[in-house]
Amino acid sequence: MSRCKRGAALLLTSVLVLGMTGCGSDAKETSGDEVITLRILENDTAKLEGYLDVLLNAFNEAYKDKGIQAVDANMDEYSDLAANGPYGYGPDVIYQANDKLMTYAEDHHILPLDIEKLDCYEYTPAEAWEAFKINVDGEVYCCGIPVNIQEPMLFYREDMMPENWQTEWDDNQNGVADFFENWNDLYAYSKYLRETDTSANRDSQYGFMSSFNNLYLNGEFLFSYGAYVFGKNEDGTLNSADVGLSGGDAATGLFALRQMAALMNEGCIDDTITLNRYEKLADGSYFCAVSTPDTYSLFISKLALKYEESGLSAADAEAKAKENLKMTELPARMPADGDLSKDSGKLSDDDWVETVVMGGVNGYGISSYTEHREACIEFVNFATSFEMIQNRMDMLGIAPTRSDVAESSGGVTDTIFNSLSEGRIYLMPSIKAVDQIWVPAQTLLGDIAKDPFREAKGETPKYASEQDIEKAIQKVDQDIYDAIYTLK
Amino acid sequence: MSRKTERPQISLPVKASMLIMGTGQLLQRQWVKGILYLACFASYIVYLVATGAEDMVGFFTLGTVKGNAWLGIEGDDSIMMLLKGLLAFVITAFFIGIHKSNIDDVRRCDLKLKAGGTLPGFGKACSIFCDKKFYIVALAVPVAGVLIFNILPIVFMILIAFTNYGGDIVPPELVDWVGFDNFAKVLALSEIKDTFFKILGWNLIWALIATLVNYFGGLGLALLLNKKCVRGKAFWRAFPILAYAVPGFITLLGFKFMFSYGGPINYYITASGGNAVGFLDIDAGLKAKIIGILVNAWISIPTSMLLATGILSNMNMELYDAASIDGASKWKQFVKITLPFVVFSTTPVLITSFVGNFNNFGIFYFLRGGLYNEGYFLASDTDLLINWLYNLSIDNNYYGIGAAISLIIFVITSIFSLFTYVRSNAYKKEDTYR
Amino acid sequence: MKKKRFLIGNCMDSLITHIVLIAVCIVFAFPVLWLVLASFSKSGSIYDIGGFFPDTLSLAGYKRLFTDTTMYDYPNWLKNTLFVAVLSSFLGTVLVILTAYTISRFEFKSRKLLMKSTLVLSMFPSFMGMTAVYLIMVNFGLINQLWSLILIYAAGAPMGYLVQKGYFDTIAGTIYEAARVDGATNFKVFTKITLPLSKPIIVYTALTQFAWPWSDFILPNMLLKNKDLWTVAVGLTHLDETQFTRFAAGAVFIAVPIVILYFALSKFLVAGVSDGAVKG
Repeated sequence: MSRCKRGAALLLTSVLVLGMTGCGSDAKETSGDEVITLRILENDTAKLEGYLDVLLNAFNEAYKDKGIQAVDANMDEYSDLAANGPYGYGPDVIYQANDKLMTYAEDHHILPLDIEKLDCYEYTPAEAWEAFKINVDGEVYCCGIPVNIQEPMLFYREDMMPENWQTEWDDNQNGVADFFENWNDLYAYSKYLRETDTSANRDSQYGFMSSFNNLYLNGEFLFSYGAYVFGKNEDGTLNSADVGLSGGDAATGLFALRQMAALMNEGCIDDTITLNRYEKLADGSYFCAVSTPDTYSLFISKLALKYEESGLSAADAEAKAKENLKMTELPARMPADGDLSKDSGKLSDDDWVETVVMGGVNGYGISSYTEHREACIEFVNFATSFEMIQNRMDMLGIAPTRSDVAESSGGVTDTIFNSLSEGRIYLMPSIKAVDQIWVPAQTLLGDIAKDPFREAKGETPKYASEQDIEKAIQKVDQDIYDAIYTLK
Repeated sequence: MSRKTERPQISLPVKASMLIMGTGQLLQRQWVKGILYLACFASYIVYLVATGAEDMVGFFTLGTVKGNAWLGIEGDDSIMMLLKGLLAFVITAFFIGIHKSNIDDVRRCDLKLKAGGTLPGFGKACSIFCDKKFYIVALAVPVAGVLIFNILPIVFMILIAFTNYGGDIVPPELVDWVGFDNFAKVLALSEIKDTFFKILGWNLIWALIATLVNYFGGLGLALLLNKKCVRGKAFWRAFPILAYAVPGFITLLGFKFMFSYGGPINYYITASGGNAVGFLDIDAGLKAKIIGILVNAWISIPTSMLLATGILSNMNMELYDAASIDGASKWKQFVKITLPFVVFSTTPVLITSFVGNFNNFGIFYFLRGGLYNEGYFLASDTDLLINWLYNLSIDNNYYGIGAAISLIIFVITSIFSLFTYVRSNAYKKEDTYR
Repeated sequence: MKKKRFLIGNCMDSLITHIVLIAVCIVFAFPVLWLVLASFSKSGSIYDIGGFFPDTLSLAGYKRLFTDTTMYDYPNWLKNTLFVAVLSSFLGTVLVILTAYTISRFEFKSRKLLMKSTLVLSMFPSFMGMTAVYLIMVNFGLINQLWSLILIYAAGAPMGYLVQKGYFDTIAGTIYEAARVDGATNFKVFTKITLPLSKPIIVYTALTQFAWPWSDFILPNMLLKNKDLWTVAVGLTHLDETQFTRFAAGAVFIAVPIVILYFALSKFLVAGVSDGAVKG
């Protein structure tokens, strides 16, 4: 930590000196009558839900006297800073996920920051800062300011909970249904729902639903069992030559995934569930679906639409939807032997492993090509202040990295925060090579998810045993390694 | 002012123009022309001093200073330097062309003056040139446009094939010339070689089938609509046109959804008690290939129908009447009269359509993107070469290798199509038609 | 007797023909109909629809398309698209017609070379050159300019001159020669004789040159960073996945002008294509 700080300070002073000697039109030079305009790239949801306007207005109001003004960069939310920045078409401040931002940092497209000077510094856990650190020639720099945590969550409708859940589905009587506490019960309840589905095609009542071809949303089947993406060098930096998706007991975890897939429909093989989860949750055919916190508002709007159709006014429908739609973390315990069908009551504490999901931290970065570095720092400092993060959370339903905001809201937000600081979220590695993992991993996950349906059709399954899965996942590691190194 | 030193050697204006463009014309009292040439010359010199010379050097070095945006060091952008260097050479070539025309012009005028003639005024000279060399005037703009926006990018890409651009070496890293390294790599690495030949094989089959299906589909439809018993041809023709009007990428996204697990087709299959079919998933293989061909046909048949309708309306109907009298069957008429006529007259269209299908990027990108199959390096079993190139160079940043492979493909396809084109009837008999 | 059998045969033939025609039309119309109906779906999503078609229809998708413009400014996209498509169609048509006419009509040194090289060049995978096009545009400061799109579309148009050249090949050379003897300049021959004779092919060219920018999204996506400048195709690809109704409505709406143009000009089209393609 202290090394990071020192390095950044050192660098920033040199940058500032250069700035003052007239290398660029730094904020200080133009502080006369001219108004500095900062172009801010936020994500679409922030724009859609009106948060961006709130943020910009608040900032512009506060900094009117200092001659700084922030405007919407009005670009695609995923636009590539590396392609636009060097030519002067990029934004000044950019909000994206940590893997994306750190890809820019590797090529110095975003600036290192003296994070200790920021107001949010002491309220943000070290794990979140960790996601934005980069090691350049032995020095560690921090290049982003964490804003919110992204991890897969379970979304469900409270009114769809079984009426007798307190008696039947809460063995430990802790007031939380067992199927939100461990995967075996989630499996059991999903199975129960499938078996009691009385509709003609048996397609109106599902339990747990997730598109398994998505590594990000289903990482727990790997990372809970000791798998990792890239290993670490001795100095703590990531080693992209050590691909470890097959590490630990990854095959065991994937066997559980295969088991779970049997309780869904074929939609788990491609991205069907990712696309239809909002509607299917609203109409009650999915009991719970996996998604990230930033999609909260989409679930709400679809559910509200259903209520509106039943005759409620728009405002009432939304209030009812907000009351009814719940978001919770994935069950915290997974079976160590990968067999979800065992009765959870018969398992001792040693038979479980802690669920580790894949996640990310979204945050702000400052473009190296901005002409107003100081003003940008002012902006990010303002945007990560208590009030703004609180606003962001209220309007977008995100899980903030600021501890004070998380605490004040309590509930799920606080749990997510704790998961991050307690290591239950495996953060997307912040190096470029991570781009190469997605397609190979997703191809395999989808293929394994398809296996139960092969069996159902009478075809020979491809992954009948753990050994088959083991071989396949090792092949994926090799493929990822090849993709990174063959052409180097 | 023009001292007519009657020397047998090169006269003064010619000499002057050789040295400084336009001065010869000025000596010949061709003011407008002279000033224009001179202005050309001056602006080239200014360009050369300002950036041109530097750009040309940059083309060979591809940059020497590595940038560091953190420290405010604005380094060299190798790729931009490559492009600027290329532009500098193009501009220089253009300048040499103008210079040559300048010398030719002054020499011609010189001869004319010596023969005692008078030179036409600038306006008149222009209009004479425009008329006599109409093709130059008419083609200047199109050729320049194609040169800048089609040929220059291609040359650029060919040059990239000889650099190490890509992977970790993207700006601000400096790119270098590496000669034939990329080609050596492609040929040496077994993964790449295997994938290349596998995909090439499927790519050829795809291009052939897709072209034939589209072509004969369109022809068949046109023949059907051309039948005497069909009334309201405009009405029937409207449906394929509807299909044509929807932008291609929307059609493809729509079809992808239809064939997905959550799509309507699987909905009806499961609703009637069947098992959902993975039309486009990882095992799909042949299914996905067939769907690709059908979807492509859906998109392309309307255009080829229009084409065939047009061609058929040009046919000599008397041939059919004669054939009917001879008692030839409908099928025989089709094979002996219609087909030869249509095929012979549309060979170039067939070639362009084959090439278009060979390089058909959209179909499998939209229908079946984001999959890598076993035994393929960064590709799936339905990917065409162009999709693979996209995976390599855009998705995975291996520009240099991608460029090298595309160059290889380019050479193969162009030799094939050039050969077919030059041998085609339409090309050989071009002159007999006119 | 024989005649009667002939008539029955004809009847059968006609019946089969019409059955096939109907089948073909269903194949072509069905996906379009699906798209159109999806655009009228009330819920705004296709995943509410069980099978192909929504149960309840509403105009909500279209209404949102044109009124809810904070994020997705469709009217503005439409305006941009229209601007780009009309101008590139105009410029492109001029260039293509000029190129095709010149190559068809004049015999000059590098003519065959020109023809062969355009064929070869069209074979190069175009996206491989995209980086270069982007850098050229950056170099000339033409990013975020609708004009830059027009420039590229129009400049690339002459590559597809083949059909047009075929059309001009069919116009007998004697007409030109007569005019030349009368002292008309080549330019005059082009404007006074060629152009009036080539209405069908001009219409055909203009339409194809219009349709391409109208639905292309790769180029504008690369060159237009500012959302206010987006064209319809770019905007639609950026629509959120949950907004299918709006996506479909937007897609239907941009298909309409092309359909109308096609029907209004279909006579010209068939004539233009036919004469051109015969010898292309």
